Amino acid sequence: MKALFLLQWQRLRREPVLFFAMVLMTILFVAVVGGFGSISSIKVPTVIDDSVSESKKEFWLERLNETDGYSFEEMEELEAREKIAMGNKPFALLVMENNYQIWMLSESPELTMLEQVVRQVYMNENRLATVESVVDDDQFRSQVENRLSEPALSVTTEMVDNDNAAPTYNHQIQTLFGMTLFFSIYTIIFSLSKIAEEKRTGTMNRIILSPVKKWQVYFGHVSYSFVLGILQIILIVLLFKYLFNFDVGESTGALLVIIASFTFSVVAIGMLLLGFTKTQEQLNSVVPIVSVSMAMIGGAFWPIEAVSNQFILAASKVNPITYAMDALKGVSMYEQGLGELLEPIAIIVLIGVLCMGVGVNLIERRS
Amino acid sequence: MLETTDLRKVFKSTVAVDEVNLYLNKGESVGLLGPNGAGKSTTISMISSLSMPTSGDVKWNGESVVKNPNVIRNVLGVVPQEIAVYEELTALENLKFFGKIYGLKGETLDQKVEDALKIVGLEEKQKELVKNYSGGMKRRINIAVALLHEPEIIIMDEPTVGIDPQSRNYILEMVRQLNEEKGMTVLYTSHYMEEVERLCDRIYIMDHGKVIATGTQEELTSILSSEESILIELDRPYPNLVKALSGLEEVLQVVEHDKGIKLIVTKGSRLLGKVFQIAEQEDAQIAGINVQVPTLEDVFLHLTGRKLRD
Ligand SMILES: Nc1ncnc2c1ncn2[C@@H]1O[C@H](COP(=O)(O)OP(=O)(O)OP(=O)(O)O)[C@@H](O)[C@H]1O
Ligand SMILES: [Mg+2]
Repeated sequence: MKALFLLQWQRLRREPVLFFAMVLMTILFVAVVGGFGSISSIKVPTVIDDSVSESKKEFWLERLNETDGYSFEEMEELEAREKIAMGNKPFALLVMENNYQIWMLSESPELTMLEQVVRQVYMNENRLATVESVVDDDQFRSQVENRLSEPALSVTTEMVDNDNAAPTYNHQIQTLFGMTLFFSIYTIIFSLSKIAEEKRTGTMNRIILSPVKKWQVYFGHVSYSFVLGILQIILIVLLFKYLFNFDVGESTGALLVIIASFTFSVVAIGMLLLGFTKTQEQLNSVVPIVSVSMAMIGGAFWPIEAVSNQFILAASKVNPITYAMDALKGVSMYEQGLGELLEPIAIIVLIGVLCMGVGVNLIERRS
Repeated sequence: MLETTDLRKVFKSTVAVDEVNLYLNKGESVGLLGPNGAGKSTTISMISSLSMPTSGDVKWNGESVVKNPNVIRNVLGVVPQEIAVYEELTALENLKFFGKIYGLKGETLDQKVEDALKIVGLEEKQKELVKNYSGGMKRRINIAVALLHEPEIIIMDEPTVGIDPQSRNYILEMVRQLNEEKGMTVLYTSHYMEEVERLCDRIYIMDHGKVIATGTQEELTSILSSEESILIELDRPYPNLVKALSGLEEVLQVVEHDKGIKLIVTKGSRLLGKVFQIAEQEDAQIAGINVQVPTLEDVFLHLTGRKLRD
């Protein structure tokens, strides 16, 4: 059985392209979608209208740049319009004396956020200006600022079921785990397709004729795919944690348990697919369909919280990715420990056990 | 020592193997000859316990292989029709792996691997990847894997398909040595009658799932004792000549070749004179003429009305 397990590594050493391609794809996608480096702000080309006086210009830029998440850079109108037209920037801001405009090509979540931020800045300023004109006090503004920095009353938001500070949604972590899990499905199921390949080339018959037992053959393949899948996920998580300072949380043990149970469930789903398909080609062609739909439904591409379709929500309940994403984000964003994650982990393992049982049965019945 | 009784295999609508009875004695070399789709591979996979017969039985030393596959698995070496090795690995790595799953290890493993490499003549290429091998070398590593655990009986399914004459000769000579010098029992499958004629003590001819003839080469060709064949070489096809010749009373069968025609005729019919005469009438250029004793090919032709290979 050791020989069967080691054989697969020997074969991987000779043909490692697929594995490294998957690792590379993950890195690429996390980099592009999630963005490297720690929390980066979105740069907004900002055009100052001629109606704004030179002194007011600095004032507006300062106010705007006090906000989180966006940095406003002054730019000539022509340049800003060109950037949008070329698709280099999704939007730009035009600052006028008492108003503003946002130029854009298409809708995006960032745009909605930007609108809110800018509106808030203008509203605050208008309010202050109105009061100022009535009160007619030079000291008014500085007084308001002082009061704001030393509030008489401060409000803290807390979640009912969470001891920690208000949850901070982290787009980078969502992308890191989403892409990592998504691409690991490919590696795992493609590595399992070696079982179908052995049947096709006839090496499986040779093994069957040897004193090795049938279950040992499957065990060799399954354990190989399992270890390979875990390896890929850990490799990528470590890479982003240490090289790009992604905050994956403190609980390494919990992460490991989640990753292992998720990998097991994907191996099991792979065995199920192997049982349903007749040839290696068939299997290879269903892998992309299965992995993409699992990832979409399970919230690997975007947070499942953003989904409202009842059908997709129902489907997400039998999808190990849903629970794995939940648990991984729980550990890294909300500092949850193993104790709080037992339920999702148990469900993942349960899905795995069921698929594995049905899968092995189907494969056996076929031969 | 190996025996099949009324072996039958039905796939949905096709009867692949139909009531096949055959036996092999210890140390014998037996050929299974038949055209594509005759049911050779299916017969072999049932004998080697890889597939269940629809009905009938396979017995090894009196014990049913169908009921207990292990009685034959331990003493059996199978060379499958396809190249069943890991092509991305070297020959050495392949042999080591297959040796290990037979429980070989340490020095014994190294020794047996070396022996197998020597038998197939791949010692010098053992560290090369199989995928870079030539067709002949792939066939040889395919055989080496089956020899590793020194089986008592080796079953080879068309081990020389699609390779150059030199490699083919090498393999045939190797099989002869295994059989004659090491006393290994051999079941050799082929659709090349020359191979079976050269290697095998006894021959089964299969067609459409049935054994249609069996015996030694002499016994089989004596089926045709009352016939002989005349090979006529021509510079181009002459349809009229074929028609005229088939009209002759003594001619039993006319077969067109790429280079001419073959007549199966009643023995001693002294037709040559007539053949030349007709050729002259039809304006046909005869490049050569040859009277032959029957071959297994002729036997097959006689029994089925078809050639072994098209
Ligand atoms: N798994 C299968 N399912 C359905 N039909 C099959 C199967 N295997 C073989 N057959 C059919 O059974 C018949 C015998 O096939 P088999 O492979 O035994 O022939 P063969 O003598 O080995 O031919 P070849 O020289 O081409 O290898 C063929 O008609 C083939 O189509
Ligand atoms: Mg065959």
